[in-house]
Amino acid sequence: MSERKLTSSVDMKARQRAVEMVRRRFLEIVEKVLRGEEPRMLIPKRTLSNTIYDKDRKLLLLGSEVFDRSFLDVREARKFMQTVLMASIIYEALVNNEYPTIRDLYYRGKHTIKYRDHRGRAVEENTWDEQRESDAVLRDIEVFVGLLREEMLILSKEKGKVVGDMRIRSGDDVIDLSKMGHGAYAIEPTPDLIEFIDVNAEFVLVVEKDAVFQQLHRAGFWKKYRAILITSAGQPDRATRRFVRRLNEELGLPIYVLTDADPYGWYIYSVFKIGSITLSYESERLATPNAKFLGVSMTDIFGDPETKKKPYLTETERKNFIIKAKKTDIKRAQELMNYEWFKTPKWIKEINIFLKKQSKLEIEALAGKGLKFLMDVYIPSKIQTQDFID
Amino acid sequence: MAMSVEKFKAISPAEFFYRNKEIAGFSNPARALYQSVRELVENALDATDAHGILPDIEIRIDRDKVKTYVYRISVKDNGIGIPPQYVPEAFGKVLFSSKYVLRQTRGMFGLGAKMVVLYGQMTVGEPVEVITSPIGSRRIYAFKIMIDIKENKPVILHRASWPKNSDWHGTFVKVAIEGDWGRAKSRIIEYIRRTAIVTPYANITFRTPDGDVYIYRRVTKNMPPPPRETKPHPHGVDLEMLRMMLRSTNAKTLLDFLVMEFQGVGKVTAERFLSRYGFDPGKDPRTLSQAEIEALYKALREYNEFRAPRSDHLSPIGAELIKIGLQAILQPEFVEAVTRKPVVYEGHPIIVEVGIAFGGAIQPSETPILFRYANKIPLLYDEKTDVAWKVITENIDWSYYGVQFPAPLAILVHICGTKIPYKGVGKESVADVPVIESEIENGVRHVARALKTYLIKKRKEEELQKKAITLVKYIPEIARSLAVFVSKPNPATNGVTQELLESKLFELVKMKIGELPKGISSVRDVVLSVE
Repeated sequence: MSERKLTSSVDMKARQRAVEMVRRRFLEIVEKVLRGEEPRMLIPKRTLSNTIYDKDRKLLLLGSEVFDRSFLDVREARKFMQTVLMASIIYEALVNNEYPTIRDLYYRGKHTIKYRDHRGRAVEENTWDEQRESDAVLRDIEVFVGLLREEMLILSKEKGKVVGDMRIRSGDDVIDLSKMGHGAYAIEPTPDLIEFIDVNAEFVLVVEKDAVFQQLHRAGFWKKYRAILITSAGQPDRATRRFVRRLNEELGLPIYVLTDADPYGWYIYSVFKIGSITLSYESERLATPNAKFLGVSMTDIFGDPETKKKPYLTETERKNFIIKAKKTDIKRAQELMNYEWFKTPKWIKEINIFLKKQSKLEIEALAGKGLKFLMDVYIPSKIQTQDFID
Repeated sequence: MAMSVEKFKAISPAEFFYRNKEIAGFSNPARALYQSVRELVENALDATDAHGILPDIEIRIDRDKVKTYVYRISVKDNGIGIPPQYVPEAFGKVLFSSKYVLRQTRGMFGLGAKMVVLYGQMTVGEPVEVITSPIGSRRIYAFKIMIDIKENKPVILHRASWPKNSDWHGTFVKVAIEGDWGRAKSRIIEYIRRTAIVTPYANITFRTPDGDVYIYRRVTKNMPPPPRETKPHPHGVDLEMLRMMLRSTNAKTLLDFLVMEFQGVGKVTAERFLSRYGFDPGKDPRTLSQAEIEALYKALREYNEFRAPRSDHLSPIGAELIKIGLQAILQPEFVEAVTRKPVVYEGHPIIVEVGIAFGGAIQPSETPILFRYANKIPLLYDEKTDVAWKVITENIDWSYYGVQFPAPLAILVHICGTKIPYKGVGKESVADVPVIESEIENGVRHVARALKTYLIKKRKEEELQKKAITLVKYIPEIARSLAVFVSKPNPATNGVTQELLESKLFELVKMKIGELPKGISSVRDVVLSVE
């Protein structure tokens, strides 16, 4: 069987594009060296100071600051070496039809340089010691070349799952997401290579907790309410975020996010909605500005005298289900208050209630009140009454 | 070769005790062994370098197989030798000395060998063996001598001579004493090492009772000029010395006495001096009363119109030789030395020399390693009470000179003069007389400044080298990585190989750094392998 038939055609195309782009960028450096010019790369900075919150588009974006990584700068020489080394490994993997993981890249590039120091002693230095270092230059290459790692066919662990009444093409196969049995479709690390064929759903529900996803799946939630059901299983990976974004952008489906009622749940939601600080350069492709925070909100637990909203929990249930907030939770909540994108009246109210009550609640607690309550009361009524935070 | 003739004179037993009341050094068997080696080695050096002869000196200590406290020390030199008629008295009569005149030699009193013989006779009882052949003599003379202590005269137990069929001249001395090698060992070995530092023009071999052999080879044929004799300066004599000079002078009048026996005193000066203090210029110097002698002594000290003392009879080692010696023995990476101009201490000229050695084979320590010398003799004991120690540990702030301790730093301080203010009877440490302290301090600062300049230059070079290495070490990995992108045929990059990229990158580093440090002429000088 020929190579062509083993690999999908979308892969081949993506591969060809990545080969050209990586090659073009680094050949510029080769040519500089051949001309006797200082080899350097101008790389956009990935720091908080160069992270801009675009209020109109509601996105975290990379600013315009760049830094100069030159081989002849003693402070940057090592990083320069690491960057071209990483680029060469990625390029070789692309050319050789491979799908490396970031761990693979780390191992492939870990070489030992033996050299004589200024005192004449033989010393050893690794091209990189920890994966933290190789991951950092990989991010530099993503912004330098203008390609995300998925586009360079670098794989990461699949974490996100999806079920629902829709069909997609992944590789050369058509997959029916309504026929996954008790299982679910693991969202592939290269969600851009997925083609949506047809969909029969009215909204997307993203659940932070894998266990809650399974309960809702088995109870037939997505069939009953014509939903696409997704879990990020904790902090969302890039593939899940990109997949959610495409569902919203290309299919026009509203996105509702359901997390724990605590600062970490809120941050997971914000990562879906506007992007993360460390990966702000990908927000433009990964963030879903229209995503809505369905719950669990503080007003769901404690009610809201201002809007005369009644809590979903009775006094007794509240006593049994809520957990006392830890110091780190409080600290995290105070940090969130400083972020531009949490400075809306609804979020300020949420965070203030949290700081006042110093209590948090897991989604499982709502399922504890009865799966039926979660599936047939809480979620539908929240959506119906538009009781969410945008 | 210019040879000066040694002057031999007998001095009285009273003078001996006067002159030797401060000589200790035989207080216990360990110290006595150390002192004996010192005396014999210093005599051997005085018999050679003081006469323009490049020294070849062989030292040997043997332990008696039966009486293990008995050690036989022998020292052989290639010096001027001793005329046979003087040998019995030179070794067998306590007060015989060739060093009475003022000249800077190692042993100040020339009594060293006799002290050794005397001590050996008291503790072991064997005669001293002397074999000698004066320079120019056609015979070799051998003696076995003891001292008749009561009569203070030599007893010759054996005497022989035979024609010489080699061109050897010099002296061989062998003496048996009670010693303690175990406790003296480290000091004696160190003494010889330190002697070798200031005599880089000598061949010195030393065989220990353990059978170890230390060899210090001659590394230069340059020697300091031999010291010349000089007459005392009027400010530099004490009462006893003045008394002896008055007694032994050939001058018939006080005026002649001053002109003949002192330096810096001409006829006019002498006349002026005598009339100022009311002395009779025509008086026979031998007839001065006790009171007159004391008055003359005070006047000589007081009068300040004599010419300043001369220093040309002093024999400094010289900055060049100090550097050569430090370099040969310590193998440092940096060495510098200075010979200071003469200064006057109580009527005696003094010259201070300072050497410095840094890095290389010197082991770092918390304080500088100090090598002290007085008239070329290493001083080993009582280091902490010496003025040089005070200077280098208290007066000098080494951090100012770029030295951070622990540091591989050695300082050599040599004081030469006809009178050195020792502390205590052991003559092992020099007192902190202000003029000497400031001379040492200025000398140390002089060489320390040179060290500072060197360290700054070295640091700059090191920085540059570090910088070059920081860049060069990554070249192979970068070249290999970049070569990956040109593996496809492409007109712009045709024929581009990893090697070409390496050399281009190396050229870039060269351009950036300017001149590359020595030892880096290609990538492979830095990078050994990439695996």
